[in-house]
Amino acid sequence: MIRYSFITILLLLASFVVQQFLPAFTGLHDSRILLVQLVFLCSAVTVGQPTMLLLAFIGGFLWDAHCVLGPHGGEASVYSQQVESIRFGYSTLLFAAMGFLMQGIQPLFKQGKWHFSAFLSGVAIFLYLSAEYAIINFVRGDFVLSKSTVLQMAFTSLLTMLFSPFVFWLLFHIASVCDHSINPEAGRKNRRLA
Amino acid sequence: MKPLNLIALLLFLGGVVWTFTRSDRAVREIQDYYFASMAPFLKSGSAMETQARKFLDETRHSKELEVELDTTRKELGKLQIIESRFRGLEAENETLRHALNFKKATHFVVVPAQVIRRHPTTWWQTVDIDAGEDKGIGTQLAVLSNDGLVGKIDRPDKGRSSVILLTDEKCQVSARVEGSPEVGILSGQRGHFVGNPLLRLKFLSTEASLHQGQRVFTTGRGGIFQPNILLGTVESVEKGALDSEALVRPSVNFADLGTVFVVLSADPNRP
Repeated sequence: MIRYSFITILLLLASFVVQQFLPAFTGLHDSRILLVQLVFLCSAVTVGQPTMLLLAFIGGFLWDAHCVLGPHGGEASVYSQQVESIRFGYSTLLFAAMGFLMQGIQPLFKQGKWHFSAFLSGVAIFLYLSAEYAIINFVRGDFVLSKSTVLQMAFTSLLTMLFSPFVFWLLFHIASVCDHSINPEAGRKNRRLA
Repeated sequence: MKPLNLIALLLFLGGVVWTFTRSDRAVREIQDYYFASMAPFLKSGSAMETQARKFLDETRHSKELEVELDTTRKELGKLQIIESRFRGLEAENETLRHALNFKKATHFVVVPAQVIRRHPTTWWQTVDIDAGEDKGIGTQLAVLSNDGLVGKIDRPDKGRSSVILLTDEKCQVSARVEGSPEVGILSGQRGHFVGNPLLRLKFLSTEASLHQGQRVFTTGRGGIFQPNILLGTVESVEKGALDSEALVRPSVNFADLGTVFVVLSADPNRP
């Protein structure tokens, strides 16, 4: 269990490296594959709450370090109405919220129905992006939602969701190497049938 | 709730409070550590993206290229005529400048750089360039292309820097409209990023009489951008009760950024 949890943390860190190689699809409204979020969401459904929260903290913290923009700069007398930035650390809360959502269907996952979790990872990514965009609108004022933004969120969720079976396959493989069962009920059922 | 879960939740919330209370400087330090550890991977990632882009450029449809060549030939003919006129005007201008003892146009000390990565984040309009602190680049420096203002430096690192583009809402520029007393703040629009999005020039007077095609330049106020850098041309004007706003087509093609120039300072040797 400890070995598996430790490897999921390493996997999350590795996803940050791979994320650097994944460019935005300019032809699909600048959508992208959010591998970091996907690895976190898939891992979240396979671990307990304390590990999930640790993963959420690490993931959110590093994601903010990757994304947060610096202060505006310039003379305040000229740029009197500066555009607000979202605070460093907000992603940790969003990661945790999405993690709790994924853990909500952990019983189904434990029965071996990982397909629901794969689908929910797409939904969670969409909710994550929507929440992020809503926060940006909230801190900057004037709610603006263009068609291209919605399409960007939809395509990003879809593209990311398509990769979830691969991440689950990787997690199952890691679990078997660590001699740890991430869906014990499905294992028992299979043994009974055999 | 199990005691272990409760302890984990409390520790998590403590961590969140800790991150929320970091100052801008502390956040920059955290980002410096993060990007320093990511630097080797970023370099290979950027190289891959550049190669992929080159490959896509090369495999563009041949007919498209033929049409482009034909148009370019026509444009070349036109430009040759314009150039011969321009040369005459330039000579005349030079003579007048000397005669009237005008100050020479402002010259900048610039560092050339290549765009190596586009849009590394979801919501912000940013690019990475292959020049950093080692070439004297610092934060909030203006970035230009041959066509006008591209943006400003957001975060310089060793060997690379992040540039926030003019099309981003957070990149605000004090701007003036040529041939009018109108001065405002130009920035990108939220949620507009596809192709070459229009910019919004805010805080113009209610009586702003602008027309399509008027050029927009930097004022030089605000301590970030040098004056008289071309930003774009007025597309339309929206009059409001308290102020007016203009939509501005940027002079730079943000979908096709290659070489850019970071302005280190105005050349002190050229008054």
